[in-house]
Amino acid sequence: MSFEADMVVWLPALRRYARALTGDAAWADDLVQDTAERALNRWHTLQPQSNLRAWLLTILRHLYIDQLRKRREIAVDDDSAPWRTMAAPADEVDGLFLLDVQRALYCLPVEQREVLLLVGLEELSYQQVASILNVPVGTVMSRLSRAREHMRSLLKEDPGSKRPPLKVVGKAVKDK
Amino acid sequence: MNEETTSRLPDPDQAHLQTLSAWVDNELSDAERAVVVEQLASDPQDSARVADYRAQNAALKALFATPQDNVRCIFLPRRAPLWRRAGAAGGWLAAGLLCGLASGWLGPYFSDDQPAFAKRADIAYAVYAPEQRHPVEVAAAEEEHLINWLSKRLDRPLTAPSLQEYGYTLVGGRLLPGETGPAAQFMYQNGKGERLTLYVTAAAKDTTAFRLLNDGKRSTFYWVNQGMGYALSGQTSVARLRSMAIDVCSALGGHPEAWR
Repeated sequence: MSFEADMVVWLPALRRYARALTGDAAWADDLVQDTAERALNRWHTLQPQSNLRAWLLTILRHLYIDQLRKRREIAVDDDSAPWRTMAAPADEVDGLFLLDVQRALYCLPVEQREVLLLVGLEELSYQQVASILNVPVGTVMSRLSRAREHMRSLLKEDPGSKRPPLKVVGKAVKDK
Repeated sequence: MNEETTSRLPDPDQAHLQTLSAWVDNELSDAERAVVVEQLASDPQDSARVADYRAQNAALKALFATPQDNVRCIFLPRRAPLWRRAGAAGGWLAAGLLCGLASGWLGPYFSDDQPAFAKRADIAYAVYAPEQRHPVEVAAAEEEHLINWLSKRLDRPLTAPSLQEYGYTLVGGRLLPGETGPAAQFMYQNGKGERLTLYVTAAAKDTTAFRLLNDGKRSTFYWVNQGMGYALSGQTSVARLRSMAIDVCSALGGHPEAWR
């Protein structure tokens, strides 16, 4: 039973990451549920010396990418977009800045967003992120750098313009 | 991929930005760090950039605190072969206990070595519960005849316990071939047309185990009491089915206290 016990420890962190990645608490909870199920079905494939958290994040990411493809495109400027209704940010940092960061985050392409979150939020090493994403460390660095610069430019946009131009997160897939 | 190429051969500006990122993330060697410290001291643009990166990180952490709010249960039924192989942990494996935090809710129990009668009961439910024209051989209108007939064939006095309390009335019953002899299936139905079945047959062991067999939408609670195996199957919620199973077990002379 120790595998389950080990996994339980990471569930809150998985939820946090899933919420940040999707911007949607309900979707995030489903993702964590799916991740936990898949992990339990495949725990025998986990090498004893490998990092459980990184492995769980890898599974979660694969599921997210799959689900993203199946979902319809989400317009970032949509007032009903899930992150607009997320909980109010903590109070020690300027709330308006946080809202801008939140909005900017979902303007990033998924590849940039996930790297930014894995490094900036989850505080994983570049090496760990590279193995989760299955890309070279150099790619992690370039995506991360672009993500941060992208965020900077979005945050420095003329506040008078208020909202970023309509963008689409992820790609629409014609699977219907 | 284009991106992979550029990442291998970053242009000087890109490389510089990546170094600043790596500085923020503590990914530089001591030597590299020393270089960056000097640059930052002399270049206000760079230090502003690093401050921005740090502010982004801080904002992300503030935005996405580890959820403490509503504890949501992760529900994980154990599944067949791999678990069986890995098994060891005894016959009975708990499911539904992977909650991020304690919530007091424990899931039902799943087994990976169900007795044959429980599987047959489960299948019999799947076969007959959807039946519209002939769900039963003998209807509840002839309840006395039904009970006598099935009791005679199973060579045991049977009763069809009432599930009226839960809104289910007896539809009737049928005789089925079981693993070691005949089996009786009683069918119940509620106002919405949802059905339950109670399956009764002789069982080899005289244990009073109480377990759940779950196969997608339908669930079967089963137990053994005094040489008889009982299984209650339905598509209602597991919790509801469980409380009905407890009542049925009790009504049939079993001792559900043990697993209540």
